[in-house]
Amino acid sequence: MDTVSRRKFLQLTGMGAAGAVATQLSLASIVEAAQSRPMPTGTPILVIVTLYGGNDGLNTLVPYKDPIYYSMRPGISLGAKDVIPLGVDDLALNATMTGFKTLWDRGQLAIVRGVGYPVPDYSHFSSMAYWQTASPHTFVNSGWIGRWLDTQPHDPFRAIGLGSVLPPLLAGVKNTGSVLPLGGLVVPKGTMAKEFSALGRASATDSPLQATVAASFGDLLNLSKKIEPVLAKPAPVADDLPSAIGGSFGADTSLSQQLDVVAKLVAAGAPTKVWSVTLGGFDTHADEIRAQSALIGTVSTAITKFLSQIHASDRANDVTVMVYSEFGRRVRANGTNGTDHGSAGPVFILGQGVNGGKFYGDEPSLSKLGNDNLAITTDFRDIYGSMLEDVLGTPVGQVISGRSTKIDGLMLKP
Amino acid sequence: MANTQDRLAISRLINRFGFGPKPGEFASLLSMGLSAAQSKLLTPPATDTSLLQVSDPDFPDRGPFPTVGTPARTIFAQAMQSDRLNLELWWLDRMVLADHALTERLTWFWHGHWATSMGKVEYARPMKMQNETLRTHALGNFNQMAQAMVIDPALMYWLDAGANVKSSPNENLARELMELFVLGVGRYTEDDVRGVARGLTGYNVDRSAATFTFNPSKHDATQFSILGSTGSWNAASIISALVARADNQMFITDRLWFRMMSTQLPTPKDVGAAFADREILPAVKKMATYVTSADPLLSQVRSPVEWAVAACRALKITPSKSQNRAQIINYLEKLGQYPFNPPNVGGWPFDEAWLNIASAQYRIGFAGHLVAQGDLSPIAGLSGLTMQEVLADWLGIPEFTLRTKAVIRRTGLTTAQIVTLAICSPEYVVNG
Repeated sequence: MDTVSRRKFLQLTGMGAAGAVATQLSLASIVEAAQSRPMPTGTPILVIVTLYGGNDGLNTLVPYKDPIYYSMRPGISLGAKDVIPLGVDDLALNATMTGFKTLWDRGQLAIVRGVGYPVPDYSHFSSMAYWQTASPHTFVNSGWIGRWLDTQPHDPFRAIGLGSVLPPLLAGVKNTGSVLPLGGLVVPKGTMAKEFSALGRASATDSPLQATVAASFGDLLNLSKKIEPVLAKPAPVADDLPSAIGGSFGADTSLSQQLDVVAKLVAAGAPTKVWSVTLGGFDTHADEIRAQSALIGTVSTAITKFLSQIHASDRANDVTVMVYSEFGRRVRANGTNGTDHGSAGPVFILGQGVNGGKFYGDEPSLSKLGNDNLAITTDFRDIYGSMLEDVLGTPVGQVISGRSTKIDGLMLKP
Repeated sequence: MANTQDRLAISRLINRFGFGPKPGEFASLLSMGLSAAQSKLLTPPATDTSLLQVSDPDFPDRGPFPTVGTPARTIFAQAMQSDRLNLELWWLDRMVLADHALTERLTWFWHGHWATSMGKVEYARPMKMQNETLRTHALGNFNQMAQAMVIDPALMYWLDAGANVKSSPNENLARELMELFVLGVGRYTEDDVRGVARGLTGYNVDRSAATFTFNPSKHDATQFSILGSTGSWNAASIISALVARADNQMFITDRLWFRMMSTQLPTPKDVGAAFADREILPAVKKMATYVTSADPLLSQVRSPVEWAVAACRALKITPSKSQNRAQIINYLEKLGQYPFNPPNVGGWPFDEAWLNIASAQYRIGFAGHLVAQGDLSPIAGLSGLTMQEVLADWLGIPEFTLRTKAVIRRTGLTTAQIVTLAICSPEYVVNG
């Protein structure tokens, strides 16, 4: 295996970012940047929510009046009581998604249907690489937001992923996004603080990895007191949205924690235009109904809370949220009350700048399956086109070579 | 003192093909010379007597989950929790106490390869059984390992194989078998995935008992094609067909090289060639000949488990007997890695993924917890250059940088502070 295909291998197995090593940011450094050079209000901000594992689109946006849906999914179909009808095209949201229903009614949620790319690949790792590089079936060594970063002056704060590992979408050719690990910080004190700080200096004979270890001590100890007023303060919560209930059932709440940090940093004026947060667990091959409902409910609840926090700040009009997963799932249930890897799925776009309360893209027909899978009616790169041109203000062709299209009318003010 | 090259090569040997030195071991390997050290570390003894002191826990079949809200459920949950902790500490004990750690090191590699998580399997009994299977074949024949793993109850349950039936195949195990365990992504078609899933129908699993069964009436015994061969398939014939592919030879040696030697450099051709018969030990031995390379791209970050086990070996701490014994697992969990709980079927991340401010602070806290109860006698009463050299030998560090030398030799530090700083130093966290 040569070096190039090895890189590909790494990326496809989801274990390595494509480009340069990510800068590890501390919360302190972001807060410091927010205070020393706050981003002007009115600057658009994109929050990308990646759902790992392949979310089941048909149990998220449910064709609840289609008899084929029920006949192909005995045991895991959602009945009329388990859904919230949207009043258009006989489609409904999973009943755990009460928050999204409120946002839909307010015109702040648009749903793009049948999203995927030509010739589906059913590997988690390949398909996620295609989405994150915006290059289905053709290997490129960079993520789409990374290449957007390449069009901008270098700034380690411009795009940040929450968590300890850089998602490939943030890796560019010359610029790369940064990562912000979560978790309360306990810093050594006294003598050991001094000694660890000395251990944080680079040494001429360090290997690159050893230098990274040293730098991590430096970052830890540079933790500024400035951070505390921002992070200790509860995030603003507006009272005009009902607190979304239902849907968590004790499922992973880490998405909510990640978005809580993003809300605080956005409100504080962090000079960050793209945020990446993630939630895993969507690979529901068995006993799907409870697990998937809980997870998608968590997504709805966490994002609704996040938008209510943003709504209470002076950046209510600035934030757009995009939610996607690497593929949808097979239409027909398998033998274990779950579903195998499939093709198309819905993508959610949320925020006050979204022309919401409506669908984009055609709903794939359950009676016209290809290879047991839903047809792709929308290319995901068209959604990226809208995010790049109408949110971030960069022509799509500069980031995704050869592309010029977007979803027309998705955003209110291009 | 041995030359710098030998120190680096032997440090790599004892860390990549073991879990770091016990006190005195590095110095003893140095004095026997590189080639004798290589031969010693790569030749497992018939019996490792040091492991006789690790008592083998027995995990009974705990049966199904009692109804939620009943007293029986509470008792059951406590028993399950205690089983899991005992299992995790049992394996850490083996890694720490083994005199010859090669088998445990490879078992650890295979655990990350056939990444199965307690998070879904829940019962300790099938997880322990899988661990024994991986240990049995860790240095043996890959075909035999794969034959055992395809009917391993924990793996089967983890990937929903249990109820994969003729009328409605579940592809999870079939796909990961080809993509992540045996061939590598892109080396098969979607029809092959469906074919393998069909061939594996009818294999069922009793999770708590850790047994598998085969139900011929739910097995698709018709003729169909997998990777160009047509026939009637079962688990054994599928594995034989997959393992016989040249892709398997390349894939497995790439994974071994990637995890144990370098995430940056390509696998040398002769390592692949050494795996021609699918025998694991010869490939591992061939990899070990590359420890003498001066290429800095061979340097690797110790994953949290590898780092903590190495520290426990040096400090003579038996995890199951350590202070507040669950604390070791808690720290490992904070660092993002503890045995039997990989994040997903692709296994754990590597290198830079373990290095950030969050892990830095937990590593410092963890080091303090270990040093406070460790045996620090190797450098007791020593100071200056002598202390520094003995410390490097004790921990198996090729050479401290000027930066770290200055830190650990600062006057006024206690022995515990010196050791804490040394095991957190970049030279220890990253194996050169």
